[in-house]
This record gives sequence, structure tokens and C-alpha cells, in this order.
Amino acid sequence: MSRPPARRLLALFAVMAFAFAAISVRLVVLQVGQAQELQDRALDQRVRTTELPAQRGQILDRDGARLALSTPAADVYADPRMVLDPWAAASQLSPLLHVDAASLAGSMSQDGSFVYLARQVNRTVAERIGELALPGVGLLDTSKRSYPAGSVASQVLGFVGTDGVGLTGLELGYQGVLAGTAGERTHELGLSGQAIVGGVDVERPPVAGSSVVTTIDRDLQFQVQEALEDAVKAQRARGGTVIVMDARTSQVLSMASYPWFDPNDFGDSPSGTYRNRAVTDAFEPGSTNKVITAAAAIQEQAIPLGLAIDVPWTMPVGDYVIHDSHPHGVMRMTLGDIVAESSNIGAVKVADRLGAPALATYLARFGLGHATGIGFPGESNGIMLPLDQWSDTSLATMAYGQGIAATPLQMASVYATIANGGRWVQPSLVRGTIDPNGDFVPSSDPQSHRVVSAETAHMVTRMLSYAVQDGTGINAQIPGYQVAGKTGTARIPAPDGSGYLEGQYIASFIGYLPAGDPRVVVAAILDRPAAGYGGLAAAPLFRRVALAAITRLGIAPAERVSLPPHALPVG
Amino acid sequence: MVFGIVVVNVLLAQTSFRITSAEQRLEELSQEHLELVSEQASLSAPGRIAAWASRHGMRLPDDIRILHASGGRHADPAGAGTSSTDGASP
Repeated sequence: MSRPPARRLLALFAVMAFAFAAISVRLVVLQVGQAQELQDRALDQRVRTTELPAQRGQILDRDGARLALSTPAADVYADPRMVLDPWAAASQLSPLLHVDAASLAGSMSQDGSFVYLARQVNRTVAERIGELALPGVGLLDTSKRSYPAGSVASQVLGFVGTDGVGLTGLELGYQGVLAGTAGERTHELGLSGQAIVGGVDVERPPVAGSSVVTTIDRDLQFQVQEALEDAVKAQRARGGTVIVMDARTSQVLSMASYPWFDPNDFGDSPSGTYRNRAVTDAFEPGSTNKVITAAAAIQEQAIPLGLAIDVPWTMPVGDYVIHDSHPHGVMRMTLGDIVAESSNIGAVKVADRLGAPALATYLARFGLGHATGIGFPGESNGIMLPLDQWSDTSLATMAYGQGIAATPLQMASVYATIANGGRWVQPSLVRGTIDPNGDFVPSSDPQSHRVVSAETAHMVTRMLSYAVQDGTGINAQIPGYQVAGKTGTARIPAPDGSGYLEGQYIASFIGYLPAGDPRVVVAAILDRPAAGYGGLAAAPLFRRVALAAITRLGIAPAERVSLPPHALPVG
Repeated sequence: MVFGIVVVNVLLAQTSFRITSAEQRLEELSQEHLELVSEQASLSAPGRIAAWASRHGMRLPDDIRILHASGGRHADPAGAGTSSTDGASP
């Protein structure tokens, strides 16, 4: 006998009522008690925040030619847990990435959830890898720094690491300017990755880095590097440095030290080649320093310009005997002759008349002993002892450029000071920056100070012209132009501090042209060239670089300056 | 009413797809632009041009010749102070 329908209906109602109550309670719990938490969790699943990397600024030459720029690239990674067949994937990736298949397979077989397979591959390769749709293999957008001119000005530019941060050179020094500020975008995405209309979409756009406009002339820099490389190889030198500066503004038009490197593949070169030795390394300048002795003597009227003094071949100084480069009898020389013939003894005699305090003062005024402040990372101060630490021989040796050390840039600045009428102008490598809006922001005006009078500078120019016309610098002559300059043949201190290396020299020639209206200063320095002397090894390099500067910059000849008072026969 | 809401949603969805597509296209074009800029910079690099010129028999002059527009004189590379009436124009 069956139950009465009313009781069965009542039971069913009770069950349904209970179920409804349970659902209602659950609904209240979800909609009221846990509503916010669940909404947040749902939002988290839909909302993605992605970093929007800032475009790194470019580095340009003085005319806007691109020396460094960033291009889109991708990092290729793998999640080894998701890779189904490491060897199959590796065999497909290997020819695209130019990486050994066994190495790739090994990477994709290791423990962990993330491993880079390649960094900064170009967009075309990245697209082909994307088309392979390999399980567990993915791509991350990034950028790659490239240097279109290769090794041109590489030591000035420096390079960036794989994380896009500058490691050397201007890339390091101007990291804060070039890098920009990353942005981010927060938005709701559907399952297919499509943005949900009306959903969360908040973007903080990245701020691109500013571009840096250098003072470098790319084409002149290339010619300078060619000339320097040829000279180093021809002279079997250990290396060399060339600087080209604008004589009026002290802007560096070219700066190179051989050997150099290609910043596109900096890992292939020894780290020593990364250094911008023109700025970071000091050397004993030798006779190129006599220009300071001469300028100081003229300015302080330490010796009448027409006075000829006796200059023997050797002279005792303290416990040492110093001598000129070649044996000669006692010669009658004016200050002009001493500069032109590069007489050490003559320079010492002039320095004696000048006195140590005055020489120390002028060495400092010309910029020796402290960094120029060009704004390049790692710039050296050079080495100049304080006056109270000078020995019995310091005055004598510093008069002809030994016992003191300067960077090539400091020495180029010395000659730029004379070329600029006696006013030292701080050298510069950066003309300004271009902000993300495209507006040019010039660098602040360089510091400057007067070192010697214009009259003194002009007289020194006459002496330096004499040195090229009829002295040790004849190999620097350029037809149609009057060149002012000075040779240097400096001994090299032994690394153990025991004195100087025998028979090994830094050969240099530093000068400017046209002598009557200087436009460009060139410093040419070779480390231990076969020819030894500055006049034989470095002057021809100066000449070739100066010729390149003349044609590149369109430098016209100027009125010739007259020779200074001299006692030696000319011609 | 319901039909209208559905139509609006469809249109919004379509617009969303078009915006996303346009953004992707813009990104691609921006990247392509950067690559072309890089390629242009590489092609104009002095090393490449010098190598090309060298392969075609060209070389930089060993010396320079100065023309004096006023007097119609020029200094020859030997610097011997020779004069000439040719090349008088600047």
C-alpha cells in the first residue's frame, strides 16, 4: 500500500525548502560575505599589468648621423616543464639561433621553469620562431643596441649590457639621459588575449630617453681611425691615440685609441680595448710640454725673446746629467730656437730663469694635474706633484716634459689654449641632448679661463710654426698651409719604478692649423714606434689627420705668421 | 530594447577588435621604422662606403690643391708656390 500523496508532497517540499535555503545561504555568503574577495580574484585573472619599456635614446654625431640606436628584438626562453621533446625543438631552433642543438636541448632538459635560449635576436628570427609554435618555448619583447658604424668612435660611445644598461663610455656616462622611464599598462583581457571593451584599461606611457648629440664628426673619425691604424702597423707600435679638436670651442671632433673594438660584438675583443685612453690614461708628454715652459717664460718675461743663450749638449742637474737628443757643440739659441730644435738643455735653462713656483703655476693653469671635466667616465687627473714635493731635478725634467704625466686630452687642451689666443676652454664631447619631443637642449657653456695673454699665445704660435718650418717638425708640413706644432719623444717609466725603459719612447706631435687663424688642433701619439722620434713617427700621422680635417671641415689657408727671433740659420 | 543592447555590444566588440588590430599594426610599423632607420644608418656608415669605393678603384687624394679665386693662382701639392690661371673660379 502506497503512502498518501500529501505526505510525499510534504517530504518533497521539505527537501526543496532545505535545498533552497542552502542555496540561499550560499548565495548570501558568496554575494555578501565573500563578494569583494571573489571579485578581486576574478579581476586578477582577467587583468594583466605589463611593463612598457622606454625606448633608449640614440647617440648622434655632430651632424645627426646615428652612432648608436636601439632596434626591436626578442629574448627566446623556454619553460623546460612544458617542452614535450627537447631534441625536436632544439633541432628546429638551432639553425635559426645559430646555437648548437645539443646545447639547446640541454637547456630545455634542465630543472626549473625558465631558461634563456638566446638573447636579443632580431625581429625576423623572432617571428619565425613564433611561427614554429613550439610548446614551452616563448618570446619576450626587448631591444638591441646597435652601432651602425661598427668600431667608429667605439671607445667614446662605449656599449650597453644585455639588460640595456650602459657599461662604458657615453653609454655609461649618460645612462640617466639615454635610458628614459619605463611605463606600464594594466588592462582586462579575454581568454584569447583580446582587450575587454569597457574593462579596466589604465596606461602609464613610457617616457623615451633623450638622444645625445656628440661633438664627434663621424666621417672624420673614420678617416682618423684609418690613419691611426695604418701608422701603428707601419711603425709596429704597441698602440696610438689621436685627438682632433676644434681650436675655437675645444669640442672634440675625433678621438680614438688603437687598438679599438666593435661595440656590436664587444665580447670578441680584450677588455683593454674598451678604454678611451685619450681620456683615461696619462703618459709623460716629453717635449710637447716645452710649449708650457716657453709660454710661461714669455708671459713672465723670464728671457728676452731676442736673447741667445749658450746651449751645450749636456748639463748636470742634481745627481744626474741631462742631455739633448743629439750630440752638438755649444750653440747660441733664442727661446724660439730652443722650441724649434726641441733642446732639453735650453728648456732647462729657461725654466731656471722662470723658477719652480712660476712653472708650477703655469702647468696648473694649462690644465695639468686635474681632469678637464669633459664629462667622460674615468677621466684621469694625470700626475703632477705639488710644488712642495718637487725634488732637485723636478724643475729641470718638467721643463721638457718628464716627471709629469698628462692625458692626451690634457695635452691637446694645452695646444688648443695657445691656438685660442691664450684662453683655456674646457673640452667637450657632447653638444647637447634631444628630448623625446624632439627639442634640442644644448649643453651648458664650457668653463674657460685665460692662461696667457693673446700676445704671448701669438708669439708661441710663431715659435711652433718655426718648429714645423725649420725645426724638428718638418714632417708635419702641409703644402699651402702654415702648421704650428711641436714634436715629443718621451721616455717611458719602468713599471717597477726603477727608472725609464731603455730605448723605448712615446712619440708625439701636437699642433694646429692654419697657424694664422687656427681652426683645428690635432694630437698624434704613438706608443713605442719603430722610428722612435716624434718627428719621424708621429708627425706624418699628424699630417695625414690634419689633411683629412682640412678636406672634411673645409679649412682654408690663412695669413702666415712670421718666424720668431732666432739665432740659428733658417732654411 | 534587448536587440538594441545586443547590437551595441556587437559593435563595441568589433570596434575593440579593430582598435587592438590597429595598435598591433602601429607597433609593427614602429618597429619596422626603427629597423629601417638602423639599416639606413648602416648603409651610410663611412666604413661601408669606403669599402665600396675601394672595390671600385676609388681612393682618397694623397694631397690637396688650393685654388685662389682672386688671383687665379693655385698652390700645387709640392708647395712650390707655382701659379696658374686655371681653376680661378671658387
